[in-house]
Amino acid sequence: MTPQISESEDIGDWIVHHLVNRPSWHPLPGVDIPLPETLRIGTIDLSITLHVLMLWVGALITFLLFAILYRKKTSQAPHGLTNLLETLVLFVRDQICIEYLGEEDGRKLAPFFLNFFFFILILNLMGLIPIFASATANINVTAGFALITVTMMIAGGVIRHGPWGFLKIFMPPGLPIFVYFILTPIEMLGLIIKPMALTIRLFANMLAGHIVIAAFISLIIGFKIWGLPFLGGVVFVYALELLVAFIQAYIFTLLSAMFLGSMLHPEHE
Amino acid sequence: MISAAGLAAVGAGLAVIGAGLGIGRLAGSALEGIARQPEAIGNIRNTMILAIVFIEGVALFGLVIAFLAMGK
Repeated sequence: MTPQISESEDIGDWIVHHLVNRPSWHPLPGVDIPLPETLRIGTIDLSITLHVLMLWVGALITFLLFAILYRKKTSQAPHGLTNLLETLVLFVRDQICIEYLGEEDGRKLAPFFLNFFFFILILNLMGLIPIFASATANINVTAGFALITVTMMIAGGVIRHGPWGFLKIFMPPGLPIFVYFILTPIEMLGLIIKPMALTIRLFANMLAGHIVIAAFISLIIGFKIWGLPFLGGVVFVYALELLVAFIQAYIFTLLSAMFLGSMLHPEHE
Repeated sequence: MISAAGLAAVGAGLAVIGAGLGIGRLAGSALEGIARQPEAIGNIRNTMILAIVFIEGVALFGLVIAFLAMGK
């Protein structure tokens, strides 16, 4: 009985070890690349960890895709990779930006949301490739994304409507005066709750998917050759994760656009 | 005695029951809607996915809290 318990604890540690941030990158079994601990400002540790490295690699892949591989200045119809990317770009611009922000703002802000969509999508997909780790399964990364959204919401609201007009967004017209004392703080809580929900949704979705895959793999480890049927489960969950990677990138972008739209055009609410 | 990790697992299971009921009901209603009006399939699908993601988000809040309780 005792060896079984210790083995299950080992497997739990193994799953956790695969998901947490750490100061080294091992792309292949046996290969371990330590990352330098360089930056330290006061007591804040800003050293480069695995997920920071993954963010940089993701940014590099995004840059390569759109700066070099994406050919927009061709006379004939796009084909190959350009065609695939153009489908996604048009989808984000027409179905998300223009739909929720209006024709003018949508076109102006489309690059911002395209950045969100493709960066999150590539980070999600990198988590499914064995040599990389998934940076979006780290709550600090998703909180950073959500902070960008909430900054855009506040800045956009203040710039568009002015400071007083920004406050008026939280005061629906046509109510008795005393109701505003209760209603306005509650409406303003949305500014905190919305980015928190964005943060936890992306983080928890990616984390849960990876834990389920790792749990299926650990069943194979635990049951040795008799666990081989669980390989089907692994493949199924992996395919599901592929879908989730796209859906979560879409949802994050969509909700950011909806929240920003409700700040820019409050009368639509 | 049930350990904290065991209780956390039960909590995660309860969260999943709620999400399953919600998503099942939602998908059933969407199917009814599509059966009555097949031309609205695109709109219904988009709205359904959006609502499913919200329900899933709530279930995942429960899951995250279960993880936190497990770590204690």
